Order: sequence, then C-alpha cells, then structure tokens
Amino acid sequence: MHALVGAYVLDAVDDLERAAFERHLRECAACRAEVDEFREAAARLADTTWSVPPPALRANVLDAITTTRQDPAVPVRAVTPKRRFHLVAAAAAVVAAAGVGAAVYAIQDQRVRQERAVAEAARASEARVRAILAAPDLQVREQTLTSGGRVTVASSKLTDAGVIMLAATSAPGEGRVYQLWTIRDDDPASAGALGEGQAATVRIVQGLPASSAVGVTIENAPGATTPTTPLDALVQL
Amino acid sequence: MVTPVLDIEALLARVARGDEKAFARLYDVVAPRVFGLVRRVLRDVSQAEEVAQEVLVEVWRRAPQFDPGRGTPTAWIFTIAHRRAVDRARSERAAADRTVRAGIAAVDTPYDAVADEVAVRLERRQVRHCLDELTGLQRQAVTLAYFQGHTYPQVAELLGAPLPTIKSRMRDGLARLRDCLTTGATA
Repeated sequence: MHALVGAYVLDAVDDLERAAFERHLRECAACRAEVDEFREAAARLADTTWSVPPPALRANVLDAITTTRQDPAVPVRAVTPKRRFHLVAAAAAVVAAAGVGAAVYAIQDQRVRQERAVAEAARASEARVRAILAAPDLQVREQTLTSGGRVTVASSKLTDAGVIMLAATSAPGEGRVYQLWTIRDDDPASAGALGEGQAATVRIVQGLPASSAVGVTIENAPGATTPTTPLDALVQL
Repeated sequence: MVTPVLDIEALLARVARGDEKAFARLYDVVAPRVFGLVRRVLRDVSQAEEVAQEVLVEVWRRAPQFDPGRGTPTAWIFTIAHRRAVDRARSERAAADRTVRAGIAAVDTPYDAVADEVAVRLERRQVRHCLDELTGLQRQAVTLAYFQGHTYPQVAELLGAPLPTIKSRMRDGLARLRDCLTTGATA
C-alpha cells in the first residue's frame, strides 16, 4: 500500500485507491510525514506555472465568499453512520488489494493487464457500489472464511441490489479459484468466480435481496456451474 | 519562494477568522499560481477559470482547518488546487477519450512555458535544475501525473513501463526533488 505514496501525492490514483491510501495514512504517522514533505516538493512544481487570471475571477471569487460559510476548525464527522463509512473504505481497500494481490502470482505482462482491468472495473462500478452502500435500508453481514480472510455482504431491498466483498488472506493454490454463490430456495447460482491468483473482489449483485444466503467455495479454475466443494463461508441474509 | 511564506501564513490565519479583507490580499498573492496550475492541467482557459474559482472559494471555506504543523500554506493551497484540477480533467477525459494521444503529444515538452505566463525566473530555474537532476523516467512519471493529471496506470501505458516501476519512480522522483529543492534553496 505504501508504495502508492508518490502516486497519491501527485493525484495519480483513482478515488478508490485514494480512499484506501488515506485509510492507511490514518494508521501511519511516518507515512503522513512523507506525504507532507512530498506535497511541499510538488507545490514547488506548481510555483512555476504563474498565469494572470481573467480580471472577472477576482470579483466572482470575492463575491462568492460573502455567501460561503467557513468550515469549523475541527472537522466534524459526517452524520453518516460510522459503519457505512468503514464499508466504503473497506470496499476501496479490497479493490486496491485485488490489483496488487493478484499480481504476485502472475507474470509481469499478465499482471499489468490484470491490474489495468481491475482499475477499469473499479472506476466503472465505484459509483454504483457507493450508491448501494448509501441505501438507508442497508443490511450488512460478515463471515470469516475457513481458508482465512473475510466475506462481507451488504444488501438493500430499496435498490434491489447488494455488494459482496471478498477479502481472503491469500489466493487458493494453482488452478483453483474462489467462487461466489447466491442461494435462493436452497438453490445456488453462481455470482461469479475470481481469477487465478486473485484473493479479493467487490461484486455488485442485482436482485441480491431475493436470495436467502451467499456462499463462497474454492473451485477448479475457471469456476463451476454448481458448487463441488464444501462451503468456505456461508452468509445468511 | 517568491512571496515570503510568513506573509501567506499570517494572511491565512486572518482568513481563518473570517477576515474578508485578508482574503482579498491572499487572493492577489496566490490566484495567479492557482490559476496557472489549474490551467496547466486543464489546458482550457474557461474551464480553468471555473475550477480556479472553486479552488479559491474552497480555500476560504476550509481556511480554519489549515494546520501549520503539516506544512506551508502554499502546499496546502496547491494540494486543493491540484486535486480539483485533476478531478475535472478526468471527468472531461472520460467524456472524450483523448487521454493517450494528448499525453504522447505532450511528453516531449513536460514543463514548457505557457506563452502569456508571468515568468518567475529564479524559482523556475531552480525547479528546472532539480527536475534535470531526476532520471528521465522519474521526471516523466512525475510531470505526466502532475502537469497532465494522468493516473499512474495511464503513465505506465504512455511510457511503456510496468506499473510497479512507475509507482516507484513517482516516489523516488519526488524524494529526489524534495532533497534537491531543500539543499539547493540558496542556489
């Protein structure tokens, strides 16, 4: 995670990576110090870009501030429940981790492609994930994986959708993949398998509230049509 | 620094207490740099004007939260400005997918001067000198991200380098820049 410090200061990360890195920063004083120092250096780059602003800008800005209330000195926590904030951060962390974690097992070229795909998917689904996690009737359930790690399921009847966040400690062995299942009337349907070497994912599942449970298994790559192994985790909804 | 740091810090402290006159003076000191940076990233004057206004109003709004223990007021202001400029550039780019071509066209002149910029010669000379101290890949990674608002995967693609390499070059590039700018303060 800390390898992102340069990209973070240069604003060269996407929103999810930014959220994940800022979470990391909260726990790491040395990293905050490095960020502060890098920001000073980056600001010097900005110092080289003077440009006379259009005269109207001054009047507009000075006018705008007369009707803009200042924030209080100590940032007030958002009224959103804490839990939800953590969830968004957790989703961000998982997506970021999926890009990095998957890489360890893959060869360079494959890794670049995979990371890129993850980044693209993250950008596309991020707004949707946030919308679901912001639903007022959100139900959140969490289970540990027998193989190590955690699966979190957030589901909302109002949006008729849910988000499954899988964060395993490590990817299954070669030729094996994590697979997600939604279970309805004791009948499991695949909600997608992860790639080989992949240990984390965030999946949006349309219609999830109609299911009674979410299951996780480890299957032969690229995944199975019905579960062939005992459940690694079962989350009752 | 072109403007004494203490001046800005004193002004910002007054702004934090809601002093509109102090803000007008702060505006005169920092607006050309804010506008210059935003314009550099966005390459469009009317958009730059819009975003610069958002940035400066945000500076007013968040002034009470500025923490001198975390750094200089200019770094704080430019952090706000850069983030907003990059956010706007990305949403524009997403609409009109012109990232790669624009990026490649600009790789050759990562820190060229804009014609009507007010030259801040000494500062520029030192920053340029320090940018020249970086390796080619460090310099390109840092400037493509900072001045053109590219993400590190985009920079990796533009430069044909692996992602971990680009992440590292951004970090060690900034570290070298920091070292050069601090030791060379009197150059």
